[in-house]
Amino acid sequence: MAQIYGGHLVAKYLQEVEKVEMVFGLSGGHIEQVLDGFTEYGIRAIDVRHEQAAAMMAHAWSIYTGKPGVCLVTAGPGFTNALTGIVNAHLDNAPLVVLCGRSPIRDDLRGALQEMNQVDMVKPVVKWCATCLDPGRIPEYLATAFRYALQGRPGPVFLELPPDILNAKVPGEIAPGLSGGTRRFTCYPDTHTLKRAAELINGAKKPIFIGGSGVGFSRSDHDLRTFVEKTGIPFLLLNNGRGVLPDGHPLCVMDTGFAGMTLGLSRADVIIAAGIRFNWTLQFGGIFPEAKVVRIDVDPHEIDRNRTSDVGLVGDVAAVLEHMIPHVEKRDHTEWLTDLRNASRAFMDSELRQREQPSDPIHPIRLVARIQEAAGEDTLYVVDGGDTTYFGLVGLRSQERAGVLTPTGNLFGCLGTGIPYGIAAKLARPDKKVVVLNGDGSFGFNAMEFDTAIRHNIPFVCVINNDCAWGMIKHGQEMTLGEGRLQCSELGRRHYEKMVEGLGGYGEFVTRDEEIVPAVKRAIASDRPSCVNVLTDPTVTSPATIMFEQALKVE
Amino acid sequence: MRFSLLLLILYRKLKKASKKNVQFKKYTGTMRARILIKTVDGRRGRVFIFDRGKISSLGGGDHTGFDVALVWSDAGTAFKVMSSGGDEGSFLAAARGKLKVEGMAYFAQWFTDGVKLIL
Repeated sequence: MAQIYGGHLVAKYLQEVEKVEMVFGLSGGHIEQVLDGFTEYGIRAIDVRHEQAAAMMAHAWSIYTGKPGVCLVTAGPGFTNALTGIVNAHLDNAPLVVLCGRSPIRDDLRGALQEMNQVDMVKPVVKWCATCLDPGRIPEYLATAFRYALQGRPGPVFLELPPDILNAKVPGEIAPGLSGGTRRFTCYPDTHTLKRAAELINGAKKPIFIGGSGVGFSRSDHDLRTFVEKTGIPFLLLNNGRGVLPDGHPLCVMDTGFAGMTLGLSRADVIIAAGIRFNWTLQFGGIFPEAKVVRIDVDPHEIDRNRTSDVGLVGDVAAVLEHMIPHVEKRDHTEWLTDLRNASRAFMDSELRQREQPSDPIHPIRLVARIQEAAGEDTLYVVDGGDTTYFGLVGLRSQERAGVLTPTGNLFGCLGTGIPYGIAAKLARPDKKVVVLNGDGSFGFNAMEFDTAIRHNIPFVCVINNDCAWGMIKHGQEMTLGEGRLQCSELGRRHYEKMVEGLGGYGEFVTRDEEIVPAVKRAIASDRPSCVNVLTDPTVTSPATIMFEQALKVE
Repeated sequence: MRFSLLLLILYRKLKKASKKNVQFKKYTGTMRARILIKTVDGRRGRVFIFDRGKISSLGGGDHTGFDVALVWSDAGTAFKVMSSGGDEGSFLAAARGKLKVEGMAYFAQWFTDGVKLIL
């Protein structure tokens, strides 16, 4: 009877049952047999320079592909390094499957290398966690992990695999033990509730549809398009829902920027909020005090969170829309849409002019406009930073699904996500250009992942909006503490592009407006991991900084 | 004239609130901002200066160095919309080209929300 290592069984299950093509991780002695299993079963392993990046890449992989992302890290520091990425996935509702090494069970309580209670530490930030103690049950544990990651509201799961089982052999025929892989189940509300929602929507004079990550994860492209085009409702798609319908759709009001979002939501009489949480970025639902609210969420706990909904629709966004479409009536909201666009443009007049005019020093919003000009709308953009996130969010447009991701702007506000997301974007969509817009502060967190991109030949362009500071913090300190009391918020003028060149990538340093477009085009043409380091105006701040300062004002 | 008077009255109300209205004092607490409200020809207007709870103001529409300016097409429209209260009038004025915002629009919203606290 053929025997198989537990570690190989992990790889066999991933490849044969869940059809996992790629795993993100960092090597370690405790997980050696799993790594060898990847060789055996032809799974591509993207090995990073810090486990945080592995979790973030796997997280981003799930956004770009719609499938769970898998990350493999070793015990102890490998685990603790990954925690930031796991928490990010937890707060972003991303189906991340974390496989983690562990000190040998044989040596528990004896002071084994990297012995620590990982499960209790990770428990508050995952949907499910466990230690597999029997090599024969590896497929069962993995199946459970994938089910928990995907079902209902998605999220990260954590499976601890000690060497006692990874290095043990089991009969080959028990593997993979389960067939078919994880299935997704959807649910939607009863007809009566759907009709109540449709009544509100049909009676609306100034409705807005606002969709979040739930729209993206439910793959609701077709149903969302049918719904908004039938009802004529203007829409905003945020977080990982951005690009489910292209930014250029005639009903999309992403071009109205932050002003448009706040104005539009505050003036709307009916809000249809789908797969989006009413958290601090939407002022906990207080941004639209007068409006009736129809909420669609796969998690019933979200329906009345922070703001009582007039109608709550529990279910998968795509399924809910599909079943509501027959009940909504065809409408034309052109007048409302025109008013919204015109008013928003009046409110963002200065910003629109700043995008058009050359500036010296370079204004960040001008930098964004020039990047857009160089890279176009058939590009996957990722934005990482504080003020940089604002400028990228409002200034970049893409026709692609998840075409403009701003992970730093999500609930965890996790700086350093840009480069890992960019690498995952290119791996998931190799036919697309990928441009990461990074603040200089946030660039530092995972800058060494350029080495990962170079080793694995993953071309992408990272443009640094370099204001030589932790800009959002610096400007916040200037406002609240005073200009003479800056503390820990200034960086220096650094040649980050030289660092990338030193690792084997392509680099350019830009200080003048007219240099931006040619430099970005050359970086794209180089077909290598590239860094275009652009010095920008250090005095410019964004509304996000003011909002951030106001949100933290607690007395 | 009525527009200038309205702005002066608004300033006095804000000043009073900055000393006596607890909620408003909390709201303006750490903010430093210069809000200019003026007509497009610059003939009428007033700048409101918020400096961590202290409020001062200067008349006239030709001030520079503001964080945001609400620029009205004419004094009549400005008076009509501002004296009516509520956001709908401002929204429609902006949609019809009678109000434009220069600078960071967030400050305009912040100012409007602050004014609501004292009315």
